[in-house]
Amino acid sequence: MSDELSKLPPQVQERLLRLQQLQQTLQSVLAQKQQVEMEKGEVEQALAELQKAADDAVIYKAAGSLLIKADKAKVTEELIEKKELLETRSTVLARQEERLRGQLKETQAKLQEDLSPVSPSA
Amino acid sequence: MAKISAEEEELRRLSLEMRLLEQTAETLQQRISMLTAAITDLSYAQMTLESVEKEKENTELLVPIGGSSYLKAKLAAPDKVVVGIGAGISVEKTLQEAKAMVKERLEELEKTLNSVQQQFAQVAERINADRNRAEGLVAKLREGKASSDV
Repeated sequence: MSDELSKLPPQVQERLLRLQQLQQTLQSVLAQKQQVEMEKGEVEQALAELQKAADDAVIYKAAGSLLIKADKAKVTEELIEKKELLETRSTVLARQEERLRGQLKETQAKLQEDLSPVSPSA
Repeated sequence: MAKISAEEEELRRLSLEMRLLEQTAETLQQRISMLTAAITDLSYAQMTLESVEKEKENTELLVPIGGSSYLKAKLAAPDKVVVGIGAGISVEKTLQEAKAMVKERLEELEKTLNSVQQQFAQVAERINADRNRAEGLVAKLREGKASSDV
């Protein structure tokens, strides 16, 4: 494969490298976004469960491997704050994703132009 | 520079596609492993809750502490179960509520696992199809090259 790559013009090689880098960055952003969305989903689910529980329900909060008794209102407040933080991160990552997809599309189009066999001008 | 034949171009496209598909397959495989682990974990909880349900208060228990070692304990409140609801928060529930929650989660996970397994099968099928096509193309290109060499 590398042998074949070295046969390509330097400009195309560079563009291919750029495409690969963009794909890797996009993958990493997507993975981060997925992680954030998962965390957000978890927080939302926890909030929904807490809402169902009575105000004097016995709640515990994890502290390492220990579970410590906690107050429902306080825990709810903390979770809402966490959710807001995750939402902000998710928005930032979505914007990054959008930008990367645009750059990828552009690079791909240019590469396709580079690689498409030149049609005879006759 | 020699003109790239349509076969060669398709071969390049297939190789790129196969690489991307293989990455997707790997990701899906990881998700399948994670889901299977979560299902095993929850099934274990389900089995434990079902067994505890039959026991009375103050029943002697052996609590695992790892390394095949156990501590002696007594069942203080058989009807109280502390269930994690995610994000590091746990809520005390009755045994019946806990059982229902675990069952619901298991069903959800199994549904997700099925869907991921289906996606994986589709990707694997596509990889196989691409591989067959690529092998065919390579054979064809070799044949063409051999005849032009004569």
